[in-house]
Amino acid sequence: MKKKFLSVLLATAMLGTLLTGCGDDGTKNDGEKDTGTTPVASTPKPTDSAPSEESNAGAEPVTLRWAIWDQETTAYWKDIKEAYEASHEGVIIEMVDLGSTDYMTVLATELSGDGSEFDVVTIKDVPGYATLVQKNAIIPLDDYISADGVDLSKYAGATDQVLVDGKLYELPFRNDFWVLFYNKDLFDAAGVLYPTNDMTFEEYDALARQLTDTTFGSQVYGAHYHTWRSAVQLFGVLDGEHTILDGEYSAFKPYYEMVLGQEADGVCRTYADLKTEGLHYSAAFSGGDVAMLNMGSWFIATMITNLQTGEYDSGLCGNWGIVKYPHAEGVEAGSTLGTITGLAVTSASDAPDAAWEFVKWVSGEEGAAVMASSGNFPAIMTDEVKDLITALDGFPTDEASREALSVSNLYLEVPYAPNVSEINSVLDSYHGSIMSGEMSIDDGIEAMNTEVGKILAQ
Amino acid sequence: MKSAHKKAVLGKVIVYIILILIAVVMIIPFLWMLSASIKSDREVFQMNPFVWIPENPKISNYKDIWTKIPFLKFVGNTVYLTIVVTFLQLLTSSFAAYSFAKLHFRHKNGLFLAYIATIAMPWQVYMVPQFIMMRKMGLNDKLLAIICLQAFSAFGVFMMKQFYEGIPDDLCEAARIDGMSEYRIYAKIMLPLSKPALSTLTIFTFVTTWNDYLGPLIYLKTQEKKTIQLGLKMFISQYSSDYGLIMAGSVLSLVPVLIVFLCLQKYFVEGVAATGLKG
Amino acid sequence: MPKMDDAQKAAKINSLQEELTALIGAVRTETDSKKKRRLIAKIGEYNRQIDTMKSGKFLSRETKRDLVAYSFIAPNFIGFCVFTLIPIIFAFALAFMKWDGSNPIKWAEFGNFTRLTNDIFFRAALKNTVIYCIGTVPLTMIASLALAIILNQKVIGRGIFRTLSFFPYVASLVAITAVWKMLFHPSKGPVNSILFNLFKVPQKSLPQWFTGGLVLLSMILFSVWKYMGYYMVIYLAGLQGISGELYEAASLDGANTWQKFRYVTWPQLSSTTFFVVVMLTINCFKVYDIAIMLAGGGSGELTTSATVLVYYIYQKAFIDWDLGYSSAVAMVLFIMVLAVTIIQFRGQAKRERA
Repeated sequence: MKKKFLSVLLATAMLGTLLTGCGDDGTKNDGEKDTGTTPVASTPKPTDSAPSEESNAGAEPVTLRWAIWDQETTAYWKDIKEAYEASHEGVIIEMVDLGSTDYMTVLATELSGDGSEFDVVTIKDVPGYATLVQKNAIIPLDDYISADGVDLSKYAGATDQVLVDGKLYELPFRNDFWVLFYNKDLFDAAGVLYPTNDMTFEEYDALARQLTDTTFGSQVYGAHYHTWRSAVQLFGVLDGEHTILDGEYSAFKPYYEMVLGQEADGVCRTYADLKTEGLHYSAAFSGGDVAMLNMGSWFIATMITNLQTGEYDSGLCGNWGIVKYPHAEGVEAGSTLGTITGLAVTSASDAPDAAWEFVKWVSGEEGAAVMASSGNFPAIMTDEVKDLITALDGFPTDEASREALSVSNLYLEVPYAPNVSEINSVLDSYHGSIMSGEMSIDDGIEAMNTEVGKILAQ
Repeated sequence: MKSAHKKAVLGKVIVYIILILIAVVMIIPFLWMLSASIKSDREVFQMNPFVWIPENPKISNYKDIWTKIPFLKFVGNTVYLTIVVTFLQLLTSSFAAYSFAKLHFRHKNGLFLAYIATIAMPWQVYMVPQFIMMRKMGLNDKLLAIICLQAFSAFGVFMMKQFYEGIPDDLCEAARIDGMSEYRIYAKIMLPLSKPALSTLTIFTFVTTWNDYLGPLIYLKTQEKKTIQLGLKMFISQYSSDYGLIMAGSVLSLVPVLIVFLCLQKYFVEGVAATGLKG
Repeated sequence: MPKMDDAQKAAKINSLQEELTALIGAVRTETDSKKKRRLIAKIGEYNRQIDTMKSGKFLSRETKRDLVAYSFIAPNFIGFCVFTLIPIIFAFALAFMKWDGSNPIKWAEFGNFTRLTNDIFFRAALKNTVIYCIGTVPLTMIASLALAIILNQKVIGRGIFRTLSFFPYVASLVAITAVWKMLFHPSKGPVNSILFNLFKVPQKSLPQWFTGGLVLLSMILFSVWKYMGYYMVIYLAGLQGISGELYEAASLDGANTWQKFRYVTWPQLSSTTFFVVVMLTINCFKVYDIAIMLAGGGSGELTTSATVLVYYIYQKAFIDWDLGYSSAVAMVLFIMVLAVTIIQFRGQAKRERA
């Protein structure tokens, strides 16, 4: 009884607000939009806009609103838009920049309820993907995939790690993996041989210590770890036996010991300092006092562009290279972490077919070529794509750097699970506690086990 | 007599020393900001030796900011928002506060409690229902949304009410006996008396609106509608290491608020006391 | 109002009159002041009803008076109601539900609240928030009152000093926290280098201002610094309202500076102090961005030593999209703030009566 009363009350409250603003949706591009009544659909629904075949040129133009971030500094958004509009007459891509800092939050808020104006959204990370799937904000693409015969095997297993109850809600168009960046000048100055594509963690640790120079004024840090959890903790999942969804994290212990040991000896900047400064990894590496940096392959494009435009001082970091991630004893070299960036079609879209065409194109071969031309890693990694990237002006010319791009095992930083976002928060929090010395390694890992255990038990 | 004089002098000296100390603590971060805004990235972080003005001041930071992001557009939007919100806030809340402070009516305490209670609610709590509602009203990605959010805050009513209560009831009573309507009492007596309170509220509203970040972040999406704070944050995420540029932007964003404060601060000096209102 | 013929009306008026007389008798004999007030209020109600009956007009004087009062409130209240009150009521209800912002809402009864008892992060956030409030509220109040009193006197350069102390409040948090973090940088900052060079604090034990146990202290210091100018302005405006004659009278009675403060300034400021304390408490409980910007670092995550309630609310709502649970946390926050406000309210009412 009480329950019913309350829900009636709620409904009235919400209804009141609905009535006040009914009808006028007020966007400039919504001649054909009919938002506000769009049901949350889990299957593709027919659309009154023009069929998406590009041959149908006489039809009314379709406008696709696409959510992205950092338009100014990321060149490929515009490249994709232009290339797509050029090959698809009658389609206009309208990009909306939501900024990178709070991107997934703003996007999820935007897609809450119904009546969003977005047709295509970029998915930045898996926790955010899980949120949108659970909110029914994006539609499963399986029907489209089978209808158009998209071959998922070209994504090399990445799509399998983001299946939700056997359904796929996004197609990746970027697939970045972690490598080791190093500054050749610092190695030369110290008279130490460059890192190789096949290094164990012990060798890596020794190398970092060899390069370190703690003399005041001419400091050199052998290694640098960004404040992200992935930069330290996820060394522990590279053996393929552990994932971050386990609820049992003792495998992280040796890596925390290694990094905290390096901190204590001045091999790398301290976590507390980095947190205080908010020092960006790019600023650290381009400053020329960091010998090795473990970071995602997205940094390659950044390095190339910024060295060319003179943003980075080529005297400090111009002579750089990459090698494969170090690995534990007995694990195959080339095992690394991956991060996919995907595209999804919103359930609020009134042109889902056209939106799908766009998603398919961007994550397909044509999109991959556009991405690779600016030094970014598309989700489809063919040999041609690899050649395209390594042939770029500004890519390190040594053989090892080319070779570093072949990955043997790719583990997503965060695979999909229903409560992945909560697990992620817990791990982030205790990562901070361990790294800043608020908790001992053992206590921190113990707390991770208990708290994630609680979430998994739910 | 002499010792009393000495004591007074000593007191003055101590007061000045305290004041100067406070002033230094208050101002140092800003001097640092100003100094950082004309430095290159490397010089910003240089502590030893520390210089206030670098050898080659990088004035170009102040020029770059206008071209690297559409800063002028952002300033325009922010100015528009701030002025409209401040005006509405002053008008409606002084109006409502008069009623709460000087009139007797039914449900007064209940209504006032509703106001106070909402101040206690962090905005994050009802942000989502509010956003869904606003979108239904067609206010998403509209500057009007921010105006609606900010202009009717409970804070203004609360503050103005507290000030009005300090004005003696006798004044209103006398006017009522003279046959003045409540509206005229408000306009002719209360409003002129509340200049200090109004200028205080102006500053508060101005600063809040000017520095608001989360509201515009959620509601304003297209580039042409963004505000200064979004611009600053955009800057920080895109040029994360370019502290000189960030500080230049911060300095620029500070100027208008300071001007408003300087213009209004004399009203605190004149104050209620000067209007001949003495208990 | 249903129509009545005159006879009925007269009878009704008579019965009301009788009750009224009885009430007046009761008031005379009632000794408890609280009850007495309540009875007096009732008498007013009866008088109103009788007046309405007698005059036979649809709108009594009281109703008219109410309408005038409401017309003053309306412009603000309508906006306030639509844009704040309704969403808040909705958020209230959410505390008893399960909702992710999109899917149908599910009833959760007290499930969200029972979960709270077992939540380590919630407890840490609660503890930190309370410590932060206990540290910040009195410090800020004292500092701002002292500053206001000093700057209300005739000192040279008063305007400049007032402007200076208002500076920190005006500055955008993004920019100014960046400055603070540089000043208190654990290994390069001038504060620590003074500790190291002048006070010979060994390098290993230099304070880490933004992690561990010190982070709350840094947050408290920062907010006192940032907001004392703001509350100073409120106090200044309050001080302007105190009549100079009161001080003259006190001087004639031979009161010293402290006595003047104790017996003139402080009681005269009671309504301002009420406002300041309530706003301070509320704002302290709502602390969020200071924690994020000072302790959050680049990615903005807070560890258990720095997490605060609103951060947890935000995280649960916008990262995990567990809006019901986040509303439940908000309710805890809300009830605490409400309790403090009511205590203050009572205190002020008592002072006013005294």
